[in-house]
Amino acid sequence: MATDARPAIEIRSLTKRFLSTLALDGVDLTIMPGEIHALVGENGAGKSTLIKILAGLYQPDAGEIFMSGRQVHPNSESVPIAFVHQDLGLVDELSIGENVALVAGFPRSGGLISWNKVWRQAEQIYGAMALDPPDPRAPVGSLSAAGKAILGIVRALSRDARVVVLDEPTASLPGPDALHLFEVLRRLRASGTSILYVSHRLNELFGLVDRVTVLRDGRLVRSCDIGDATPESIIRDMLGRDLELHHQSAASTRAPAPLLEVENLFAGDQGPLSFAVGKGEVVGLVGLRGAGHEAIGRTIFGAHPQTGGTIRLGPDLVPAGLPIGERIRKGIALLAGDRLGESALSGMSLRENLFPNASALAGGSFTPIDGRREAQEASDVLDRFDVRPRNWTALIDWLSGGNQQKVFVGRWLATGARLFIMEEPTAGVDIGAKGVIHRMLRDLAADGAGVLVVSSDFEEVATLCDRALVVGRGMITADLAGPALTLESLLTRSSMAAEPVAQAH
Amino acid sequence: MSNSTLQRSAPAPSAPRASSVTVSNLLANYGLLFVFLLIMLVFGLLRPSSFFSATNLNAILVSQSVTAILALAAMVPLATKQFDLSIGYHLGMAQVLIVGLQVTQGLGWPLAAALILLASLVVGFVNGLLVTFFRIDSFIATMGTGTLLYGVTNWYTNGEQIVGMSLPDSFTGLTQIVHGVPLPAVYVAIIAVALWVATERLPVGRNLYVIGANVRAAELTGINVRRHVMGAFVVAGLLSSFAGIVLGSILQTGTPSVGPEYLLPAFAGSLLGATSIKPGRVNVIGTLLSVLVLAFSFSGVQQLGAPFYVQFFFNGAILIVAVGLSVYAAQRRQRAATAAKPGAS
Repeated sequence: MATDARPAIEIRSLTKRFLSTLALDGVDLTIMPGEIHALVGENGAGKSTLIKILAGLYQPDAGEIFMSGRQVHPNSESVPIAFVHQDLGLVDELSIGENVALVAGFPRSGGLISWNKVWRQAEQIYGAMALDPPDPRAPVGSLSAAGKAILGIVRALSRDARVVVLDEPTASLPGPDALHLFEVLRRLRASGTSILYVSHRLNELFGLVDRVTVLRDGRLVRSCDIGDATPESIIRDMLGRDLELHHQSAASTRAPAPLLEVENLFAGDQGPLSFAVGKGEVVGLVGLRGAGHEAIGRTIFGAHPQTGGTIRLGPDLVPAGLPIGERIRKGIALLAGDRLGESALSGMSLRENLFPNASALAGGSFTPIDGRREAQEASDVLDRFDVRPRNWTALIDWLSGGNQQKVFVGRWLATGARLFIMEEPTAGVDIGAKGVIHRMLRDLAADGAGVLVVSSDFEEVATLCDRALVVGRGMITADLAGPALTLESLLTRSSMAAEPVAQAH
Repeated sequence: MSNSTLQRSAPAPSAPRASSVTVSNLLANYGLLFVFLLIMLVFGLLRPSSFFSATNLNAILVSQSVTAILALAAMVPLATKQFDLSIGYHLGMAQVLIVGLQVTQGLGWPLAAALILLASLVVGFVNGLLVTFFRIDSFIATMGTGTLLYGVTNWYTNGEQIVGMSLPDSFTGLTQIVHGVPLPAVYVAIIAVALWVATERLPVGRNLYVIGANVRAAELTGINVRRHVMGAFVVAGLLSSFAGIVLGSILQTGTPSVGPEYLLPAFAGSLLGATSIKPGRVNVIGTLLSVLVLAFSFSGVQQLGAPFYVQFFFNGAILIVAVGLSVYAAQRRQRAATAAKPGAS
């Protein structure tokens, strides 16, 4: 490890206020050269605000940043920090060499791009980090997930960065790929590069990072050597001792009549999975972002291929390969997590957004739509869920995210759904709408439906659900209910389950 | 957001901005109709005797009926955001075949028409197949099939015009003016009514628009996207060859070079139509209105003595200005509507 006395980066009492909330409140952070430093905290703890200040996207309200002893102002000058975001920003269709050149620049000779130099540049950049370069002419799409993450890092470092900020680099990496990435990070550390490592997966920190800093509600809770911390103590610091969220629903003592029964299901890299959702039950299916648990709900709905196992709805077998339309007729509903991409009918009215598949309701593609009944039902849904504006001729594009989401849940009331698969039902909606949507889902369950909440929002699952299934590495690792279902237990079980085992060190 | 519970119990005060919403709604929905009436008024005043003469009106209606049917043909796949660029060539082929099959092969016109429509069914099916199963971009797929159809047309005619000598009266009579009513306009009306019912009142039309708005969302609400897109291309094919049969009856010759020049006016009609009645989406009434606006404005300009090429300047300018205005109107409408929306984030 390098022994330069001056820290690679030193942050002193950094403060940032957004309207009435203090996103960062006098945070200190010091990273030495050749150190991997973990930054952890819940969503909203201030991690991304800190990173955005370092990236120069936000101007801090107070505080100073030093790099190797010199004060820097990232929002007004370029600083030697490289950022690798979770989605990497690679262009799959272009070659590896071109992707490097997008950041490092296209070398030219005589004013024209010299492709030989482009390929050589990519090889040199890999070589500078003692890595075996892949064929720079190959498309990025041919790389493994780890290969892409490494390319993202290598590319960022091509601009002489001394500090690399990695934002959840392993979120979408399978276990072995993550190990490969860790090896590269250790090599970088050995060459004196400092790494700020943001992750939700606590287990992977041990054996990889040197120090850890915990943020909570914009404040620094602890900054210590990783050797002085345990996963349990980090979780305690992330949550705060006093915070103990119990779910609000009355703990049901009797087992509900089963509605959905899944046995030995395989879907993508998930499986084997067996679980049940009862009538009147709100069940959370939780995992860290990138755990792949979305595939489970999608498979039940028929939007993801099922490779094994059985799904039963009530007494009926739902055969693999049954089209979505047939499943909807059986009473399965899906609220897609990607609101704009998979739910919103842009340019269409609320009424049309509530009844997109009119043929399913009318009984056939050529049975006239009962306009008056449809308008009445649309008004009823808008009233019941307090959608603003309460006017079914308004276009969906005019609504806030929360109001749109109410419409997309309301869409399934008319289809006679019995099982509601809800992906991240309140992601990106305001507090008011969140309450309404939670009440909608509890009401549906009270009417005898089953609700499966597919989510990475632990707080939501802890407060909304009767029971939670924690998914990690394609398996259900915990089934939490009643007093055992707390924010803390969810966080512990899912961050422990997700470890790609970093102890090969 | 902390006071959202309070806001929820408050009644929605939408009255103060209601008038501005109504005005911009009216403009956005019926702008094209106003333009049409304006054109009639201006040219009616400038050339009162000739512009409103039965001869002029009938001439426009007959000649524009082919464009109108083709514009409706373009509209159906456009509802799902797919382009059918083969419709112009398709029309050309039908026009050549309906004359040629009678003159050269000696078939009766009903049989010839039935064969042509059957062929169109296959062509539309192939178009749909290429787009849905082979996932070829519709722009490219239909450009390809259209060019193939153009090849068939020229192969059949060997590039020469087929003169429709001794065509039966029953065929040429298909596009005559009966009791002052031009029959082609009647065909347009029947097709328009059927399409209007399908797009505005039947689930199948709603489904087409839903596919056009968000194909992924359509799949996730259980709509069979492939079947609908396929059907849209089949309908487009049938309508374009019907337009070709009508054209054959009007021209009474089969000319292999005819067809492609109808493509752009047809698309101009249906795309311009998307600026009105149901702003933002292609629709039957908007399409018909646009075809009429383009036809009557050109006729009026012509009667004022403008040379023939002014038509192209006119059509191009109208398309750009109208679409530009409708984008502007949509923004205004949204601003007015969101301003009237209380306390929403």
